[in-house]
Order: sequence, then structure tokens, then C-alpha cells
Amino acid sequence: MSVSELLASALRMSVPVLLTALGAIYSERSGIVNIGLEGMMIIGTFFGAVGGYYYGPMVGVILGMLAGMAFALIHAVATVTFKINQIVSGVALNILAAGLARFLCIQIFHMATTSPEVHQFTKWNIPGLDRIEVLKPLVTGISPLLVVALLAVPFTHYVLNRTVFGLRLRSCGENPLAADTLGVNVYLMRYLGTAIGGAFAGLAGSFLAIEHTGMYIEGMTQGKGFIALAAMIFGNWSALGSMWAAFLFGFAESVSFRVVSSKIPYQFIKMIPYLLTLAVLAGVVGRAQAPAQEGEPYERGGA
Amino acid sequence: MSQTTPGANEPKPAGSRRRRLTPLPLDKQSRRFMWLQIATPFLAILFASLIGSLIMLAIGKDPLNVYARMFSFSFGRADSIATILFRATPLIFAGLASAIAFKINVFNIGVEGQYLMGAMMASIVGFTVKGLPAYIHLPLVIVAAMLGGALWALLPAYLKVKRGVHEVISTIMLNYVAASLLHFFIANVFMDKSQVVGQGGMGSPRMRMPLIEASARMPTLHSFFAHLGVNFPPHVYVNWFLFIGIALAAVLFYVIWRTPFGYEIRAVAQNPTAAEAAGINSKRQIFRTFLISGAIAGLVGLSDLLGFFGYMDIDFPRGRGFDGIAVALLGKNDPFGVILGALLFGFLSRGSEGVLVFSGVPAEVITIIQGVMILSIVVAYEIVTRYIRVQKKKEAIGA
Repeated sequence: MSVSELLASALRMSVPVLLTALGAIYSERSGIVNIGLEGMMIIGTFFGAVGGYYYGPMVGVILGMLAGMAFALIHAVATVTFKINQIVSGVALNILAAGLARFLCIQIFHMATTSPEVHQFTKWNIPGLDRIEVLKPLVTGISPLLVVALLAVPFTHYVLNRTVFGLRLRSCGENPLAADTLGVNVYLMRYLGTAIGGAFAGLAGSFLAIEHTGMYIEGMTQGKGFIALAAMIFGNWSALGSMWAAFLFGFAESVSFRVVSSKIPYQFIKMIPYLLTLAVLAGVVGRAQAPAQEGEPYERGGA
Repeated sequence: MSQTTPGANEPKPAGSRRRRLTPLPLDKQSRRFMWLQIATPFLAILFASLIGSLIMLAIGKDPLNVYARMFSFSFGRADSIATILFRATPLIFAGLASAIAFKINVFNIGVEGQYLMGAMMASIVGFTVKGLPAYIHLPLVIVAAMLGGALWALLPAYLKVKRGVHEVISTIMLNYVAASLLHFFIANVFMDKSQVVGQGGMGSPRMRMPLIEASARMPTLHSFFAHLGVNFPPHVYVNWFLFIGIALAAVLFYVIWRTPFGYEIRAVAQNPTAAEAAGINSKRQIFRTFLISGAIAGLVGLSDLLGFFGYMDIDFPRGRGFDGIAVALLGKNDPFGVILGALLFGFLSRGSEGVLVFSGVPAEVITIIQGVMILSIVVAYEIVTRYIRVQKKKEAIGA
């Protein structure tokens, strides 16, 4: 196995974590903690497969994003409007998502745990570079969604730090009262932040179903939504930082697939991404800086 | 306005001698609020059933018919009732484990991993220790399970208190690690090699640990209920863990509301800074409560392990931890509320089998109803709490 092959695989593996982590940034910067991202990803995998199976990958991606967004809106209604505990709502959404995906899978595909194979995107090659044998795994067979995910990093960085919208969004997470006083609609911003987060998680899910395995499989997200949250914390709530963290997890996962033949029992190798997440969190949380008012409901006019 | 001061009727902290609390007489308004709070979960259940009805209509089933079938199947037969009790048993433990952690604002999502580790420890003590009488072996196994659960809660509790790692992410990661570890111990360490495979070389051995000694098995409740004149059929396995769970709920209720330890839990949950100022070590209290939650979580799998399967295998039931969170939320983190929530989930689980077989409705519809129920119940609690607060404020201004 060549180095470029390993890197290419790590890059592919990091896409779902990266996309969801970027989504989590929008949500958390607006002040909403979203443990339900895992569930939104699950819904994304399913609707990505539905769209991909019946109408092609493009529709799959759009459906997956819309479904993730719809689920995120439930979270927004529960936490922003009704001000219920954000963790509780997220946990409930995760349970709901798993049940709903299974139910719909039986209804639509007449199978409980998998969908049929779905249509994938046409893969891209980088012309010129694809002649170099050593780089081949890296520069051929590139999923367009991988490119989208990579482009989403500078895009998110720009939106958050260089636009009026980004400033307003961040102000709602740091000091909603001050934002409100200055005429920012805190509720609207938090709705938008949560919805964008859900759309990203849905996109991540549809990537898993359409591009990664080519079908929906029950439980295929395997806690990536939670790993994404950890990646975001590791990346200190910034797009660039989250990207490096996501690469790290992608690398760990692709390594864990490749050392199967060694003497270490494979159950321990399967633990690597999760133990890495734990280690990373234990090491960084002390210096990470969360948005000041994250997790706190905001009551207009004072509680 | 005797009710406006929060905590006015709470027991005194450490040091106070045992005393009976005379409940304050309720005025008309407080009584109305009490009824409203009692009605809340029922309204939420009704709402969830309505959503369920819409789904059933969408797939062309008559919801009234389905619900009627669910009730008649669940309550019309002795084996259904015993099954509901059997299914509720692990959920009582899982709900109590979640609830006690929620009480101090710890989200122990790791009940899932903790109960797998607890059951594994119990299983190992159950088949390695031999020749003990049941009255020693069985308690030993139960203690092993609690140790296993508490051990698996140790790392997230430490990370939370010392490093500020949010327990939601750390416990979820450990859930995956626990599943892998269990797989490893079953497949690579304790695999039962003595299994006799079916005749003529047919079939393959189960991926399981050796059988647990008879002295560590939990007897069923059949003879107990026979005394009461109820005869459960032999194919249900409701056992003494049901009563242990109920007793545990009573103990926790007492601890939370009547002991200094419980007082500290409630004080830290309400305001950690104020609790610190009052001389309570809130981090230590969080750490201890987290471990207790883990120890209770360790008991979740025992009803299945010691009362039904008799061995630990790769298909040991999963997902009980997450159901436990739901049950705790339903019961508003009250130990007795947890029992009711667990019975409700037991009923839904049994009822979903009934409607699957007799009405052709997929069991997942019931899962969806459960999810909706959790969400609507927390929303409903929040709305009612806020409504009462506003009403009381109005009254206070008016008075």
C-alpha cells in the first residue's frame, strides 16, 4: 500500500466528519449545541440513498440536505422557541432519527436495514497529474463531494469572519443580549445557524450513502456525528482547525481499516478513532474556547 | 403565598436530625398546578399517539383499530403482562441510572457501555467462580456488575471533573469502545469451546462465554405470583430483578430527598457556585454521583443475563441505555416516575409485537411514537413550568 493511497483514503474518510463539523460550527457559534447532528446524519444517509436510487446522486444530495435541515428545524423549535434543554432535544432527535430511517426503509425499499445500490457521481480525474503513477490514488476517482467539502472550509471561514451575517451569528453565541439590543434577531439567527448545521450533517450523510458505500446501511454513521463535534472542539470552533482535526480522524479511520492483517486483534483497531477522540478531548478542552453563551436559551425581554 | 420561596419546604442539610415533614396545606391555585403537572405527561402521550395515528393513516391502517389491538393484546393475556414486566425490568435500572445523573446535571449517555461492561463482569464472575451457595454467589455477581458499570463511568467522570470534557461525547466514545471490548472478550478470551454443535456437523457454535453457574441465576417470579393466584406461562422470564429495581427506586427516592447526600446533589444541580459557597464540594459530588449512576447502569443487563439467557453472547441486547434516557425523561427524573416510564415502554414494546403480528403495522411505528413522545414530553414540561411561573408572578404582583 502506497503513501498516496493511504492519504487518499484518509481524505475520503474525513469528508463526513469534516462536513458535519463545519455544520456544527454554524450551530454552536449561534449558541445552539446540537448533539442531534448524528441523527441528522442518519436521516441524510437515508434520504441521500432514496434520492440517489430514484433520481440520481444530485437529487440524493439535495434530498439529504433538506432532510437534515428539516430535522434541525425540529431542534430549533424545541430549543430556541420552547427553550428546552439542548442536550435533551438532541438525544431525543437521535432516537427519533434511527426509528424513522428504519421505518421509512421498510416502507420504501421493503428491507429493514439496507437500500439497493444507488447511482453515484461521475468521478473526476485531475488532468495532467493523473499520468504520474505515484500520485494516481490521490488525483484520480475524486468524488465531487470531496471537492465541495474542501471548498466549504474557506467558504465557512469567510462567511463567519468576513460577512455581516457571520458577525451577527457569532454575536448571538457570545452575547445574545447585546446582539438583541443592537437589532439582531437572535431567534432568527439561531434558527438559521441550526438549520445550516443540519444541512451540512445531511450532506455528510448523503456522502456516506451515495459516494462512500453506494447504498444506505443502517447504523452506517457509527457515531461520526459525535466525532464531528469532538473535531469541532479540537478545532476550537474554527473552520480551519476543524479541517485539520477531521483529517486526523479520517487518517485514524483509514489506518484502522488497513492494519487488519497485523497481530493486534481487530476489535482494538476498531477502537482507534474513538480512543483518539477521547485523547484529543482530554488534551485540548482546557485551552479550547467555546462561545460564551452556547447552550443557554435566550429569552427576549429577560427571563 | 407559602409556595413562592423556592426550597422553603426542603429538608435541612447535613446534621439535621431525622424529622417528619408535615406537608404544607395546598391552596386552590397550587392544587390546580399540581393537577396540571400530573396531566402533562398524559397530554404528551396523547400527542405522540396522534402523530402515530397520522403515520398509520399514511400507510393505510386504521389507527383506532391498531391501538385497540395493542391494548387488548397487551392486557388481555397473562403472558403479555408478564412480558411487559420482564421488558420493563432492565429499563427501570437504565432509567434510574440516567435519572440520578440528570439530577446533578450530568448527561450520562454512557449507560449503554456501562451496562455491557457490568453484564460482562457479572458473566465472568458467574462462570469462573464455582461451588458457592446461591446466597453468596448471586450477590457477588451483582456486586461485580456494579463494579463493572462504575469502572466504565470512572474515566468520563474523571475527565469531566478534572479536564472539563463534556460527558456526552466522552461517554458515547466509550460506548463504542465497550462494544468492541466485549466482542474481544467473548471471541478471543472466554469463548466457550465446550459447546456441542448440532448433530451431523450441522450448525456452528455460538459466539458466547461459558454458561453461568446455576448458583448465580436469578429465579423467576412464577411461584411468587402463583401464591397470588396468577399463573404465568413458562415461556416468560420475569424475575426478582423487577422487585430489586422497584426497591432501588425507593432507596434512591429516600437518598435524594431525605439525606445530606441527596441534598448536596440538588444543591449542586441548582447552583454549583452557591453550593460551593455553602461548603459543598460540587466537583466531588458530581464525580460520586456519576460513579453511582455507572454502578446502577451495571445492573441493567442482569435481568436478561441471570434471569433469561444464562450466558453472555455477541447478540446480547443493545440500546437499553438509550431507552433508559427516554424513560428518565418521561418520569421527570423521579425514581417512581422512572418505574411508570419503564412500564410504559414495556407496554409499547409488547404492544408493537401485537400490532405487527395481528395488524401488519411495522414495529418501527412504535419506535417513532417513542421518539415523538420524548420530545413532546420535555416540551410540555417546559411549557407548563413556564406557565406556572408566569401565573405565580402575576399573582405575586396582584397580591
